[in-house]
Amino acid sequence: MRLTLARAALIRHRARTLLAVLGVAVAAAMLLDMVMLATGMRESFRQLLLSRGFDIRLAPKGTLPFDTDATIPSVSAITTVLRSNPDIREISPVLGAAMHIQIAGRDISGSVLGIDPSVQGDYELLSGKDVSDPDAIVVNDHLLSQLHARMGDTLSVATGYDPQTRTYSGQRKLVLTGRVRFIYGAAEQSSGAVRRETLEAMEGGARRDRASLFMIRVRSGADPDRVRDWIETYIPTVSAISIATAIAQVDQRLSYFRQLAVILGAVSLFVGFLLVTTLMTVSVNERTGEIAVMRAIGISREHIVEQIVAEGVAISVAGAVLGLGLGLVTARYLNAILSAFPGLPTAIDFFLFQPQAAWSALGLLIISGIGAGIYPAWRAASLPISESLRREAIA
Amino acid sequence: MLTTLLAALLFLHQTPQSSPRTIAIDESLAAAAKLKVGDKVTLLGRPAAEDYAVMTATPSGYSPGVAPAETVIVGAIVRRGADPSEVARGDFLVRMHLDQLQSISGYGDRVDRFAVATRSSANVSRLLKEINDVAFGFRAYRSRDIAVETSRTFQVVSRFHRAIGVITIVASSLFLLCIMVLKVEERRRDIAALRLMGISRWSIVKSIIIEAALVAVLGSALGVLLGWIGSLIVNWHYQALYHTPLEFSIVTPGIVGMSVLLSLVLGAAAGVLASLRLVRTPPLVLLGR
Repeated sequence: MRLTLARAALIRHRARTLLAVLGVAVAAAMLLDMVMLATGMRESFRQLLLSRGFDIRLAPKGTLPFDTDATIPSVSAITTVLRSNPDIREISPVLGAAMHIQIAGRDISGSVLGIDPSVQGDYELLSGKDVSDPDAIVVNDHLLSQLHARMGDTLSVATGYDPQTRTYSGQRKLVLTGRVRFIYGAAEQSSGAVRRETLEAMEGGARRDRASLFMIRVRSGADPDRVRDWIETYIPTVSAISIATAIAQVDQRLSYFRQLAVILGAVSLFVGFLLVTTLMTVSVNERTGEIAVMRAIGISREHIVEQIVAEGVAISVAGAVLGLGLGLVTARYLNAILSAFPGLPTAIDFFLFQPQAAWSALGLLIISGIGAGIYPAWRAASLPISESLRREAIA
Repeated sequence: MLTTLLAALLFLHQTPQSSPRTIAIDESLAAAAKLKVGDKVTLLGRPAAEDYAVMTATPSGYSPGVAPAETVIVGAIVRRGADPSEVARGDFLVRMHLDQLQSISGYGDRVDRFAVATRSSANVSRLLKEINDVAFGFRAYRSRDIAVETSRTFQVVSRFHRAIGVITIVASSLFLLCIMVLKVEERRRDIAALRLMGISRWSIVKSIIIEAALVAVLGSALGVLLGWIGSLIVNWHYQALYHTPLEFSIVTPGIVGMSVLLSLVLGAAAGVLASLRLVRTPPLVLLGR
């Protein structure tokens, strides 16, 4: 009965109801986007860091991985210390450098990683063979498209460019063996990978037995934060970064987006609330006579309140459902804009759809819909019956 | 290089040395390291990773090697310039004499870059070409080109803000339209009475448009006030958060003008749409007869 009356009241003013639903839908879309932005960025980054199962990264003291050109000395000694901790399962040292490839009279620059293929967690092989021998190189699609090269081609790769003398510290012929996707790489980044010992040899003596980064996998069941504390105690030359600390650092750097999401989300919710409240208040004002008649024939105050609240909730739910679809479309569009950040890994999404985010947005809107209906419903239920009927008769 | 230097350990030094030189540090470093003017500090020229020698590789850890160091006095605590590219990084900044930095960093007689000021009459393009033709080991760039390259991040943020702005305008338009429809429909009896008295449809539409425009202008004036207060809060919050004088939000006459104009157009359009619906309905129907 209550729902039927609420439905009839909404259908009676189709244009008005439709506009209100559209208004709530836009507010809901914005709210969903902002919930996705506030939570998705962190979750996307966490998934990215965990994607290869490495729990801890070691960077030169006071730096973030690949944030500077600094390197960690004594890789073999550090590896020995790390192996003495039974909670550490796997260690992957990585050396990074800039490289230049001369091909057909052109000089193509990019970055190269020196890795151990048996434990590396920086890329996934898409086709071809991994860097199983010292003269092999694998590259990403971006670099491959610049090179116009094919598997099996020999490339002249140089590293350690000195701008003063315009010379390289090392130059070597490497065979292109595979096509890879760098997990932490940006879309427009030209990158390749070789064995670490190959890159060390090309970089010259200054970078021998050095690494830009260590990636560490801990034993199942071990606490990564305890292992991190242990590393920082025993190896003072490095900053040990667990997933939690990395997320905290990213949170700090991108706090602007989170705060923007909270502010815009709150504004969207408030706008939706205001819209439904206004609509319901005007609707009640128009229907004072009708409500007075209902009260006069014995319909209870609770019934009136429930009917008005049901109307508010119906508009909110319809708007929220429509807004969910709209929000997903706008989230894709906004994500495409933010994905153009220079150097951002392609796997990072600022707007990540999570069912929990959708439920949160829907729940907030329904609560606001109930809240928006309460004041008009209270007004409707408090109308003096005889006076309202008299005013209606005169009108 | 400064980042590398700043990553180095910086700690209070107890042993006085003969006539140490002075450095300037930024406010955030002073706050984080609890330093004040006159304090002595020891600078290590390279990141700690470079300065520790691995002496032993045992589970008991390493013994750090002796690193070259220089004792200096904090001569000034400065507020950093409004550089957007540094805002979110949270780096500390130390200013020191060029020869001192070259010495401590082992850079020798090298610099990262030269800044060259030209005379107002100089042909910058020709100058760039001349420098690049004779330069060995470096390239000259126009400041504007470097600014474009380093501002890519802000261009992305700017595009994102514009997109959010468009969504907000769509939401506001719907909200305004809805409110106008409600306001006009609330007065269906008044409109019916006016029509029965012989007032023309167009006069009624005009009066509603004027009313809608007035509401829009008053609303936008209130919105500008709220926006200005919001802008003050945003600047106050982020300037304190990032220790920067950078203006994060600016309310300009152009922005105010655009928002008022947009509200006016949207309000008038909403008024037209809402009023046309009612003036097309026969007055007796509006009265419910």
